[in-house]
Amino acid sequence: MTVTRRRFLAGTAATAAGLMVAGRMSPARAARNDQMNILCWEGYNSDGVLGPFRAANSGVTVRAESGTSDPDMINKLRAGETSVWDLINVNQPWARDQLYPEGLIKPLSKERFLPYFDKMLPEFAAPYPLAFADDGNLLGMPQRYGPFSFVVNTDKISRETAEDQGWNLFLDPAMKGRYGVLTYDNWNVIHMCLTAGLNPFAAIEGENLSKFRDTAMGIFGGAKLLTDDLVAMNTALINGEIDAYFTGGTYTASPARYDGADNVRAITPNSGPVDGKGGCVWVELTSAVNNPDPSSVAEDFLEFVQTPEIAKAVAFTEGTYNPVSQMGNPDVLAQFDSEELNAIQMDSLAEEMARSLDYDVVTSYDALIDIYTEARRT
Amino acid sequence: MERHDRKLGLLSAMPLGLILVLSFLAPLVVVAVFSVMPAKVFTLAHMPDFSAYGVFFERGYYKSLLWSLAMALIATLALFLVCWPLAFGMAKVFGRFTLVLTVAVVMSLFVSENIRLFGWVLTLMKGGLFEGYFRSLTGIGFDSPLYNTGIIIFGLVYVYLPFMLFPLAQGISMVPDDTRQAAADLGASRWQILCQVELPLAAPGIMVGSLLTFVLAAGALAESKILGGQAVIVIADDIETAFTFGQNWPLGAALSMVLIVIIGGLALFGVSRIDLDAIMGRKR
Repeated sequence: MTVTRRRFLAGTAATAAGLMVAGRMSPARAARNDQMNILCWEGYNSDGVLGPFRAANSGVTVRAESGTSDPDMINKLRAGETSVWDLINVNQPWARDQLYPEGLIKPLSKERFLPYFDKMLPEFAAPYPLAFADDGNLLGMPQRYGPFSFVVNTDKISRETAEDQGWNLFLDPAMKGRYGVLTYDNWNVIHMCLTAGLNPFAAIEGENLSKFRDTAMGIFGGAKLLTDDLVAMNTALINGEIDAYFTGGTYTASPARYDGADNVRAITPNSGPVDGKGGCVWVELTSAVNNPDPSSVAEDFLEFVQTPEIAKAVAFTEGTYNPVSQMGNPDVLAQFDSEELNAIQMDSLAEEMARSLDYDVVTSYDALIDIYTEARRT
Repeated sequence: MERHDRKLGLLSAMPLGLILVLSFLAPLVVVAVFSVMPAKVFTLAHMPDFSAYGVFFERGYYKSLLWSLAMALIATLALFLVCWPLAFGMAKVFGRFTLVLTVAVVMSLFVSENIRLFGWVLTLMKGGLFEGYFRSLTGIGFDSPLYNTGIIIFGLVYVYLPFMLFPLAQGISMVPDDTRQAAADLGASRWQILCQVELPLAAPGIMVGSLLTFVLAAGALAESKILGGQAVIVIADDIETAFTFGQNWPLGAALSMVLIVIIGGLALFGVSRIDLDAIMGRKR
C-alpha cells in the first residue's frame, strides 16, 4: 500500500482524536470524597486498619502506600504529589520543619481533634506541644511513638550497665568491633551529638563541630557493621556477631522481642548532656496534605484510627511493634496481652520517656550531616 | 512517489519517536539542571551556581566514586576470568547441557537480587549455614567473612554473572572452529590461539559483557548494604543520602551527573570500538 498525503493526514487526525479521547478518560477532578489516599509508615496501610475502614465506608476507594523513610515520603510531596495524597504520616520534626513551612500540609480542625488528646497517655494529654506549629495551628495527630537511643544484648551487657554507661558505651575501647551502626542517618546525627556531650537541638558551632567530628569518626571507626536494615541488625545481635547497636529503640527491638528474644533490649541512658537527659523519643504525626482538591474522608480516617481496635492494629502491624499515645485510654490498653506489652517494653516505657528528649529539629543539621557522611566514608 | 513514501514513513514515525526521545531525555535534563542549582533548593527556578560540584571534591565524595569504580573494575575482571571457561564450554563443548546451564543461570534472575543476597547473609553469617554447622560438628567457631570489601566484590561477581556469561558465550560462538584448527595446523600453541585468534575474534562479546557488568556494578548499592555492612560507602549510597536524609537534591543530582558522564563516556567509547552488528548476528 502506498501512503498518500491525504491518507497520512487522515491517520494523523485519527491519532490526535484518539489521544484527546484518552485524555478525557483520565480521572474526574470533582467529587474527591469518594476516595482517600494516605502516604504513611508501615501499619496504616495494613489490612487490619484499612479493611474495617473500607467496610465502614463502602463506595470510598482507599489507597495507602508505605514509605521507608520520612524524606522519601516528603520528596513525593515536593515532586508534586500533593494532588495525589490526602494524609501523610511522618515523624513530627519533618512535619514541623519541612512540610508545614513549605505549605505541603495544612492545619487540622482543633475543634474536631483536640478532644482526642484528653484520653491519651499523660505525656501527650497536655496536649502534646510538638503536634502544633509555632503559630499555634494543630499540624497532625500523634499516635505511634517510642524511645529511641540504642539496643543491647542483655546476655552480654546488662541493662543496668548499659543505662549507667549510656552513650559512653560506644566510646569504650573494649567495645571496638563489637557493635553495629544502624544507618538511620538523621537519628545518628542526634545520637552522635549526645555521645559528644552536645545538645543536638541547639546550634553547634566552632569547637563543638570538631567534637562532633571526632565522635562520628570514633563511632564509625569502631563499628563492625553498618546497615539500614533492622532485621539484619537484630540477627547480628542475636547470633553474637555484635553485642549492641548504635541507634535503635522499641521500634527496632520489638520484632525480635516479640519473637521471643527477650535479651534484645532497647536502652535509654540514665543521664545525658541536655537537662540530664540522654535519650530521645520519636513521635509520628498524621497530617492532612495540602491537596488542592481535598477529600473530606481524610479527617474521618484520622478519627477512625483513634478507636481502640484500630489504635491496637496500628501499634501491632506487621514488621514492627510500637506503643501508641492512645494507650492512656484503658479500653485501648486492654487490647494488648502481656506478650505484646513485653515486646514494647511497657514495664519501663514511662521512665524511659521521662529520660528522653523530644525528637526535634536539629538546628545545625546541614553542617552535621555533611560531617557525618564524610566520617561514614573514612 | 517512492521517495515520498520513504519520507512519509519517517513523518509517521515522528510523533512516537519524539515522545520516546523526550521521555528518555527529560529526566536526564532535569537531573542535569538540578545539579547546577544552589544547595537545598527544590525547584529549577533559581540562578545556577554550580556549588554542588565543588562539594564533590571538598567533602570527599570522589572517594566513594573511586571505591565504586575500583570495585566494579575488579568485579569485571574477576567475572571475565570466571566466565571465560564456562562460556567457552557453553559455546563449543557442552552441547545440549548448555541449555540446562542457561536455564539454571536465567532462573536465578527470577529471584529478587536482595533476596538472593540475604540468602548469602544467612549462609555466611556467624551461626549461619557454614559457621553454625561447622561449630556444632567440630566445636570450633570462626568469624563470618561478611562486612568487608572482599565480600562486596564477591556479591557483585555473584549478582552480575549472567551479564558477563551470555555475551561472552555469544562472542566465543563467533570464533569459527576452522580458524582455530587452521592456527593449530600452522603450529600455533594453545596460548597463541587464545591470544591471537580467540580473544580478538570474541572481542565484541567481551566488550559487551564487560561494559554491562562494569556499568551495573559501578551503580550497585545492595551488595555494599546487605553483604558489606557498608564497609565502604559506594557512590550510589551517597546519592541516595543526598536525595533523602540530606534533602539536598542539587548535590544528589551533581553526584548522579558525575557518575552518568563517566559511565556514559566509557560505554560510548567501548561501543564505538566494536562491531555491534556482528554480535547481533546481522551482516557485517
